[in-house]
Amino acid sequence: MPHATLRNVPEPPPSGGGIHAADFRLRCSNTASRPTWLKPLLLLLLPILLVLLAACEDSEQPATTATSAATATPAPTAEATLAPTSLTFMAGFKPQANLPFVGAYVAQEKGFFQEQGLTVNIEHSRTSGEEFRFLVAGNAQITTADASVVLERRSGDPAVPVVAFALIGQTGQQGFAVLADSGIETPKDWEGKTAGYKGSKPTPDYLAILDAAGVDRSKIQEVRVGFEPQVLTEKKVDVLAVFLSNEPDTLGRLGYQVRTFDPADYGVPTLGLTYATSESYLQEHPDIVQRFLKAALKGIYYAKENPDEAIDIVLRYAPGEDREHQRFMFETELAAALAGDAQENGIGWMTAQQWQALYDMLQRYQALSGPLADLSAAYSDQALRNIYTNGQLQWP
Amino acid sequence: MAEHILVEGLSKVFPHRGRPLEVLCRLELRVDWGEFVSVIGPSGCGKSTLLRIVGGLLEPTAGRVHIDGRSPREAQKDKDIGLVFQDPSLLPWRTVLGNVKLPLEVNPTDGRRPLFQPKELLELVGLSAFADYHPHQLSGGMQQRVAIARALVFQPSLLLMDEPFGALDEITRSTMRYELLRIWQSARSQRPKTVLFVTHSIAEAITVADRVVVLTPRPGQVRAVIDIELPRPRDESLERSGQFLEYAQQLRNLLKEEPQ
Amino acid sequence: MTDVPLREPWEPLALAPPRWNGALRAVAGYALPPTVALAIGLLFWEVWTRTRDISVLLVPPPSRVIDRFLDRPGFFLGEGMTTLYEALLGLALGAAVAIAAAVLMAHSRLAERALFPLAILVKVTPVVAVAPLLVIWFGFGLWPKVCVAALISFFPFLVNAVTGFRSVNPGAMEFARSLRASPFQVFLKLRAPSALPYLFAALKVSLPLSLIGAVVAEWFSGDKGLGLVIFTANYQLDTPTLFAAIAVLAVIGVALNTAASLVERRVLFWHEAFREQD
Repeated sequence: MPHATLRNVPEPPPSGGGIHAADFRLRCSNTASRPTWLKPLLLLLLPILLVLLAACEDSEQPATTATSAATATPAPTAEATLAPTSLTFMAGFKPQANLPFVGAYVAQEKGFFQEQGLTVNIEHSRTSGEEFRFLVAGNAQITTADASVVLERRSGDPAVPVVAFALIGQTGQQGFAVLADSGIETPKDWEGKTAGYKGSKPTPDYLAILDAAGVDRSKIQEVRVGFEPQVLTEKKVDVLAVFLSNEPDTLGRLGYQVRTFDPADYGVPTLGLTYATSESYLQEHPDIVQRFLKAALKGIYYAKENPDEAIDIVLRYAPGEDREHQRFMFETELAAALAGDAQENGIGWMTAQQWQALYDMLQRYQALSGPLADLSAAYSDQALRNIYTNGQLQWP
Repeated sequence: MAEHILVEGLSKVFPHRGRPLEVLCRLELRVDWGEFVSVIGPSGCGKSTLLRIVGGLLEPTAGRVHIDGRSPREAQKDKDIGLVFQDPSLLPWRTVLGNVKLPLEVNPTDGRRPLFQPKELLELVGLSAFADYHPHQLSGGMQQRVAIARALVFQPSLLLMDEPFGALDEITRSTMRYELLRIWQSARSQRPKTVLFVTHSIAEAITVADRVVVLTPRPGQVRAVIDIELPRPRDESLERSGQFLEYAQQLRNLLKEEPQ
Repeated sequence: MTDVPLREPWEPLALAPPRWNGALRAVAGYALPPTVALAIGLLFWEVWTRTRDISVLLVPPPSRVIDRFLDRPGFFLGEGMTTLYEALLGLALGAAVAIAAAVLMAHSRLAERALFPLAILVKVTPVVAVAPLLVIWFGFGLWPKVCVAALISFFPFLVNAVTGFRSVNPGAMEFARSLRASPFQVFLKLRAPSALPYLFAALKVSLPLSLIGAVVAEWFSGDKGLGLVIFTANYQLDTPTLFAAIAVLAVIGVALNTAASLVERRVLFWHEAFREQD
């Protein structure tokens, strides 16, 4: 019986009928004997080899910093010709009338930075910790930071090499607020109530107040809250951690009377905002840091003498904010800036004792990840000493 | 006995983008009890539409259809009609047995209607061994046999089939028509079963039917009716007989010519 | 008539059988390529950060991340379980509401026209805007996170369920009509099984989304969960912890999806998507 012969199909073996799978395997298999995983492996290894080559070359070059023209020859107290320099200043929060911010805004608008030969780009930190990231990456050279945060970051693992070079707030603005009609009059009344804290755990000043006022912490329910003051007005918490220059005024304007608790009243040492930079920048460009500080402090002093104009300038950076509230914030922080040693020595002054007291408090309440090997490396008053004479700011 | 199906002056017009499509035009047809009738015609002549109207799935635009004196809707309600379409539409997540049982689950009866037990039906269509298989494990022909079993659950007196073997390959098609005849013979031993069978295959139409109805091109009317006087039971040898070839030639001529 | 139940005659003949145990080979086949790729990627990353002197405060080398995890694996896994619990609870809630709405919308075009714009509103609202409000309404515990996860899971389930309920084989639908099946019977026996493939697809989309939702919600309140770990580590520039937490989150996500896929294969064995064997 005739049958069609298919091309390229091997004849079946004469014994038995039909085509067996085994035969196909033997005769039809013509794939290469090379293993199939070799090619993908080589493709994967090739880019790695290239990277290693590139890395070996590049590691001989110095790490780049973001300051472009900042190769000015360091002249600590240069007068006549100041090499023009640009830098980025990142304020550690949204635009508002925190005193270090005000100093920078005014210095910018009144040309003080310019007089110091500085071109300053003012940025604001949008997310928490962003200012430190920018500092480390070299995208910003100077920032603001709370004094306790400076110590906290330095003690972290990994540690952030940040250095404070001026202490604007001689006392901190951390405090606590309760609704005036809540019946809570002293910290002892916090027992049996709910306290709200921001950040990841209750702050050391909270713990210190409890200690100082003899409050039993186990009787307080502590909850983590966000930034909305509504948690207090909606009575989700009875006690709220606040910034004394901020929320009490905001709540007051919303029609809620609050009572505040200031750690200073309980003998708890807190420090306020600082101007800060990275260790490497301070080491390489102490002159620029000094010029910046001079201009910013002049800005603060100018604002002190011309508060209305200063608030006008702030509102240019923070157009949506309430004028009266910004005024309140400014004046509250200004009062804190003129307290203590700053009275005689000038705004921004700082002492080793202040930092030691703060450090001791933070250590006692376990706010630091670990002890600092060298506390004095966290701050530098060199610039302050150079620009102040008998408490007067040298200008230019 | 009066006829089982009576179609009088059946017309169907579909609204089609403004220009109405006349699919059936005053079609007349009679089918007797227990008859196996093929319906054949050129594409678009309305054979499927005719079947759907008889089955109660479409309403006619004009004319009437009587099934044992009732309207198709009523016959449908009485479960007196079984439907088999080109796509068996089995539910893939149910087993073969589960698919055949489905009509019983949807319409649980209280014993008033005579029933085929699902297991019996599977035996009838020759798929007892595959009761626990799922449709995707079956070939096209086997799936269609499940659909036929499913259509017979309530022992309907009328079976409507719309190109049931249209999606199958040639070899399976030719065996399936004899399978269908065998099933029909077994099933009607209980009660007479009238079958209306739509197809476009001449050989199929002749093999299965007692009569072949030829429709005109659209709009469809009855062009001719041919009585198939071949003895039952039928087998493949019939397809080589002279009589068969004559019928086939007749049908081919009818389908090729233009109607007057 | 002889029946050939399984494959059509024209299917290719089987190739040579594998040399070792089939199951072992299958697992290796699935797990080995991504593991090798991951290992190579990590090597690449380690070399890059070390040779380019990149500050650990910006990008940590994998070795430090692994170290940090191994310092306290129980902590990371425990927080992971909290976040997982919130996410799954939220997903279940979102899916339930979505499916209920979909049943309504599949049966009534009016309901669909009325509800769909609302669903889009839910989808488009950024979670970070809503989360603080949820804290005010529901307190500091579990519920704001469950709500966020539910909100995120809602839309995929809604869209997929509606499409699924409508994707019934037309032939099967006609058959059901011929049986004069009630809408409820049609739903139970036709629509619901037809929708299963779509629901599983929605599940696989929503699982990682609900995890992310829970994580983001944890940024706003509460004292537990990987979200809080990430939030704190981010603030403290503790990148090794940050990356370790993210890695744990990723592993949880992969595990969830794998589990979902396995269940899907078993339940949807009949669907054409799963019938193509290599």
